[in-house]
Amino acid sequence: MEAMVAVMIAVLVGTGVYLVLRARTFPVILGITLLSYGVNLFVFISGRLALDQPPIVGAGPSTDPLPQALVLTAIVIGFAMTAFLVVLALRGQGETGTDHVDGKRDDGGEA
Amino acid sequence: MTLAVLVLLPFVGAALPLLAERLHASRTVLALSAALMPALALVLLIAPAGQVFDGQTVHASLPWVPSLGLALSFRLDGLALLFALLVLGIGLLVILYARYYLSAKEKAGRFFAFLLLFMGAMLGVVTSDNLLLLVLFWELTSLSSFLLIGFWSHQSAARKGARMALAVTGMGGLALLAGVLLIGQIVGSYSLGDALASGDLIRASALYPLILGLVLLGVFTKSAQFPFHFWLPHAMAAPTPVSAYLHSATMVKAGVFLLARFYPMLAGTNLWFDVVTLAGMATLLWGAAVALFQHDLKGLLAYSTISHLGLITLLFGLNSELAAVAAVFHIINHATFKASLFMAAGIIDHETGTRDMRRINGLWKYMPYTAVLAMVASAAMAGVPLLNGFLSKEMFFAETLESSRLGAMSWVLPLGATLGGVFSVAYSARFIHDVFFNGEPVNLPKFPPHEPPRYMKVPVEILVALCVAVGVLPSITVSGLLAVAAAATLGGELPDYHLSIWHGFNLPLIMSVVALVGGVLVYSARNWLFRQYARLPEINASLIFERRIQGLAGGAAALSNFLRNGSLQSYAAWLLTLVALVLLVYLSPAVLDGQRALLPLDGVSLLAGVMLVVAALITAILHRHRMTAIMSMSVVGLVVSLAFVRLSAPDLALTQLSVEIVTLLLLMLAMYFLPVRTRMESGWPRILRDLLLSVIIGGGVGVMAFAMMTSDFQSISGYFLDNAKPGGGGTNVVNVILVDFRGFDTFGEITVLGIAAMGIYALLRDLDLLSAPSDSLGRPWAREVHPMVLVTISRPLLPLALLISVYIFLRGHNLPGGGFIAGLITSVALLLQYVASGVAWVHRRMPGDYHPVVAVGLLLAGVTGLASWFFGHPFLTSTFDYLHWPLVGKFEVASALLFDTGVFLTVVGATLLMLANLGKLSLLDDKAKEGA
Amino acid sequence: MEHLIIAPILIPAFAGMLLLLEVRERQPLRRFTGMLSVLALLPVAWALFQQAAGGEIQVYRLGDWAAPFGIVLVLDKLSALMVLLCTVLAVPALLYACRADDKRGANFHALFQLQLMGINGAFLTGDLFNLFVFFEVLLIASYGLALHGRGPARVRAGIHYVVLNLIGSALFLVALGLVYGTTGTLNMADFAVKVNQLDGGALELARVAGLLMWVVFGLKAALFPLYFWLPATYANATAGVAALFAIMTKVGVYAVARVYGLAFEQGALAGLGRDALWIMALLTLLLASIGVLGARRLGEMVAYMVVMSVGTLMAGLAWSSPESFGAMLYYLIHTTLVSGGLFLLADLVARGRGKLGDQLVAGPAPTGRAGLGLLFFVGAVAVIGLPPLSGFMGKVALLQTVPAPLYWLFLLGGGLLALVGLSRAGSTLFWRATGDGARRRLDRPRLLATVLLLAAAPALAIWAEPVLEATVAVAAQWAQPQLYIDAVLGGGA
Repeated sequence: MEAMVAVMIAVLVGTGVYLVLRARTFPVILGITLLSYGVNLFVFISGRLALDQPPIVGAGPSTDPLPQALVLTAIVIGFAMTAFLVVLALRGQGETGTDHVDGKRDDGGEA
Repeated sequence: MTLAVLVLLPFVGAALPLLAERLHASRTVLALSAALMPALALVLLIAPAGQVFDGQTVHASLPWVPSLGLALSFRLDGLALLFALLVLGIGLLVILYARYYLSAKEKAGRFFAFLLLFMGAMLGVVTSDNLLLLVLFWELTSLSSFLLIGFWSHQSAARKGARMALAVTGMGGLALLAGVLLIGQIVGSYSLGDALASGDLIRASALYPLILGLVLLGVFTKSAQFPFHFWLPHAMAAPTPVSAYLHSATMVKAGVFLLARFYPMLAGTNLWFDVVTLAGMATLLWGAAVALFQHDLKGLLAYSTISHLGLITLLFGLNSELAAVAAVFHIINHATFKASLFMAAGIIDHETGTRDMRRINGLWKYMPYTAVLAMVASAAMAGVPLLNGFLSKEMFFAETLESSRLGAMSWVLPLGATLGGVFSVAYSARFIHDVFFNGEPVNLPKFPPHEPPRYMKVPVEILVALCVAVGVLPSITVSGLLAVAAAATLGGELPDYHLSIWHGFNLPLIMSVVALVGGVLVYSARNWLFRQYARLPEINASLIFERRIQGLAGGAAALSNFLRNGSLQSYAAWLLTLVALVLLVYLSPAVLDGQRALLPLDGVSLLAGVMLVVAALITAILHRHRMTAIMSMSVVGLVVSLAFVRLSAPDLALTQLSVEIVTLLLLMLAMYFLPVRTRMESGWPRILRDLLLSVIIGGGVGVMAFAMMTSDFQSISGYFLDNAKPGGGGTNVVNVILVDFRGFDTFGEITVLGIAAMGIYALLRDLDLLSAPSDSLGRPWAREVHPMVLVTISRPLLPLALLISVYIFLRGHNLPGGGFIAGLITSVALLLQYVASGVAWVHRRMPGDYHPVVAVGLLLAGVTGLASWFFGHPFLTSTFDYLHWPLVGKFEVASALLFDTGVFLTVVGATLLMLANLGKLSLLDDKAKEGA
Repeated sequence: MEHLIIAPILIPAFAGMLLLLEVRERQPLRRFTGMLSVLALLPVAWALFQQAAGGEIQVYRLGDWAAPFGIVLVLDKLSALMVLLCTVLAVPALLYACRADDKRGANFHALFQLQLMGINGAFLTGDLFNLFVFFEVLLIASYGLALHGRGPARVRAGIHYVVLNLIGSALFLVALGLVYGTTGTLNMADFAVKVNQLDGGALELARVAGLLMWVVFGLKAALFPLYFWLPATYANATAGVAALFAIMTKVGVYAVARVYGLAFEQGALAGLGRDALWIMALLTLLLASIGVLGARRLGEMVAYMVVMSVGTLMAGLAWSSPESFGAMLYYLIHTTLVSGGLFLLADLVARGRGKLGDQLVAGPAPTGRAGLGLLFFVGAVAVIGLPPLSGFMGKVALLQTVPAPLYWLFLLGGGLLALVGLSRAGSTLFWRATGDGARRRLDRPRLLATVLLLAAAPALAIWAEPVLEATVAVAAQWAQPQLYIDAVLGGGA
């Protein structure tokens, strides 16, 4: 199980990194989202893996609750950031007339 | 203490003329207000001067920054006194002169203020008893000189000259600072007295060559020594009083002053001799030779000044006590005759409107009185007997004959000295003959010229009188001052010397005669020489310097823009490359030493994992097909949620799932406005680079994840499990952590959400966007805006969803759920109404502005936190008690619930604020299209 | 008042929330609320600074949970100094923005307050994950503020700033995952203790965690090669925002100082990444001074001066002696206030020149040419490090305490390049100008704000000794991490 989770994280981070390096806002947004999936999983597994041990007191053995709380925070923050980025991309489209991350027009000019 | 006050007086005085100008005072009053403080300082100088002549050194010290070793310490010894007299005395004369020089239109108040600023700085340089203080004042002279040269800022030459002077002398100042800091390190103190006493220590230090180099860089730039001399002629763009004061009598002397001041500390080595003498000789010859060819009156004087500064430098370089005495003597003499010459040149410029010696000829007829004064001063410059210049020049010639450091090559020094003398006579002759005789004036801008106003001549008269008095009666006039100054320079006993006009027939006299005769001969051959000179390629230092600086700035801009190329891709690549490097270098296989037992992998999990990998890869590979990418990415999100379920994190799974839905909505909305297709624009090298980075970073993080999962560790989590129920009052430990143990994180997190919503609102307001007319396959968007099926289903769904939210919220403290998830579910339910029935429909039924919802949510969370101040304050004294207080445990439940309500409201408010406004955008878009 | 520690976070937080509640866009009310908040922060920050100066490190347990389990705020001399500095900067920055810039977009005042909350939180928290949260608070607020107003240049710079920082946040999370996964704790003091008990693979992972944090903090601080986002972002932000941003890079510097001082100054990972920081700092110094020389706009030039100061500071930090740290802090105070003032000045100049703005080309003289010229001169002298102003004192202090030839060369050489660059700029703007500027008077509050910040230059020079004594005391406490660790963990663990 651990190896598979590690591979999942690696793929998420890797694809995220690749996409944030693209030149258009849309793939960058996708990249940031994938990256945060991967990173959130990474933080999550810092409490190690456990099956069927939800961190509820009185329900038997329990997994490490702290990383879960951290990841919950991170998910919400990540959502806020992604939303901001999406809207910023729209704003960029509106003000520069292009979705290039550097505001470069397709005709080569700058807005 | 008088001394400290005295030095600071000119700084105070700088305010007076500005004040006077504000009050619209006349120019005379302005000049008087400017002269007040220097005059006072001169009076105050009398008493300590007496002590100095008695052989004492006067000290005054105020603490300033002991941590740095910087103190307002001043000392007045002979050398300082000499310079203080020059600075204040000539300063007063210059103020008087400037009263008539400046025209009524000019901002005389500002001019005098700058001048006094400089005076204070210069006075500070010469009286500092602290090395850092000296550097401080030193740089102040550069700065005030910058302002003064640039006074006529509308002139390009003035601006360029000012900047050049500042750059060159500023560089020297920085070098001097470094040198002084090194001296301080060796000596262990920045006191000048200590440093002067530590000459042997410094000279023996391995750092000595470096220190010497740095200090000399300061000296040579300031005193315009070859090859740093080029700024001085361009500083002549300054008003002439400035040239007379700063660029002949005082500021440029700061460099040679420093040679004198540091003489006991740094001189006496062969290195000193070689560098200082060589620089001095080169400057002496170069300056004297070039001076002859200047057609500009002030240009001639500027190069002459360079030459004389070279002479003084050379004398200090000879490592002979007598030579040092001669150097000090020449400092005095040069200041008097050169300042008067500059003033005379200014008068001529003033009266004729030009400084070109090819045009100003035969002025004897028009201004004979001024002519006499100028001619006497020129003769002193040439070294004619019975004038002060002769005396020091004789001493100079004699000293060049004494040196044996160059061995068989020793004749070079007197030869160079004589040659310098020849040119010096030649350009002095030119100054006299060209200007006052040599035919009639040619096409003067102002004609005919007159004698200047009476009092404009007074300063020149005084200075010229001094030239004569010193020249005729040296022992009465100057010997006392020279003796104390020279003694202070040498830091000990004076050598035996005589100031007299007649030393008998000796080699120096012959050199003088050769110089006089040769100079006249050279001058008579001037026309031929000028023609030869005209054939030489013109070297315009200003132009070259300006071009260099421009080139430098251009190069700097090019380099900066090359690095900062405006491409996010390259910035991100830098960042990620750094990360990749960290991982490559520091991530060793040693991390995989964990012993933890692995969990079994079941088929369903494997299938899900494979799905995630495939979906993520599809997203990356097909990212240009936007709809496909969004779909595959939501598969990723779904699998991540499932993974959380499988890995005992139900809260996370719920959160992830609801966030997923909202994000999906957001992306769909965004896609409506963004271009439908992503162009392929990365070339293969870039794609390969990015792939490499992805593999390294993804792989690295994966390896670290595996390493962590397979090793055991000790953590603080046991505490949470133990205390969640007794201390936090809940059984869902994750929720207790969120609202209690680490409630502060949550507080920050909902703030982030709230701010993001605010920021998004701000971004969307007044944004004009038109959507693409069709989707990625070129099909037009569906015309049916609100599908009936969706409307029918969604409306009854709302109360149901709200009910679920309440349930999830309430059970959150004990079972998976809580404010976040409940908030997100509510938001999704509400958003569904937007999607199904449209913005307009919803807004008719709901408040349009969600700002207050966010605010109330945040405030609720915040106030709940505050409330514990009132309830909890007495208990906060001891945490231990608090934890075991049963009553407080109950209170915690109540307050946590309130806190969670705040979270709930913030989440709902923020999500809706974001998406509803984005939705409004589409409404505007529809309207715009209908209108069109 | 033990609760006073949290006031620098709560005052702007509540002010921000109340501002959010004010939906009718009554600007006077909003301005009043904002100013009231920052003015209230001043005595609070001062009182905290005085408290900390006593030498006792105060720990505030949020939710009354003991460290390392709950989150703690820690007030030591360093955090108190930073909070004070931030507040002192915020007052004139906000005053300036209140003159109409705040109307150029929505929610300015709320964002400004929450930005302060984030910055102060980052300075005060004693918990690594909480530091992440406050980083996010200050970042998201700064995104909003950086994009305040309109214009394609601003949006373009904004996209760069946001995306890079989002990547940075992801990296920070990876580092935090490693921190928790190896040491099992998030509290800074506890981490400092536990990291020294690691061995084998865990120690290696902790090393990577530390280095990743350096990268993240280096991005915030704008170190080479991570500073490229800064000039455009700062130069395009509205003036009040740019002035406030002068402290943002220092948050990065602070974070390195805090974490390094606690966990990596000694012990198993002693000197972690120090050499790399040193080299990056020197390169930053060099390249930024080249950037100053090559800048084509005044705002861009000042932005590069900010980057230069980061290089200067980080080198002083990487030298990691208490003495150099003390000198570095003096310089930090100086550069934050003076560059903040210069951003305001650049805007004043730009406003007075009409269409040309702050571009460094000859044009009409700005309104109030003489006065602005004087201010520019003072600011330039200070920021270059020429005597007799604060920059000189700071540089001397750094040169004395960081006796490395390369540093001397770059610091002094960089100063020379800046001198050439700024004298060209000043000459172009104030001397080469045609006309005497528009007849309009300079806006008084704007001028006041600018003067207030630039007055720091002479003030810090005149009172250099008390300020240096204070920063040296801060450094002395910083150099004894055990004090911090004992204060945080002493009673509870």
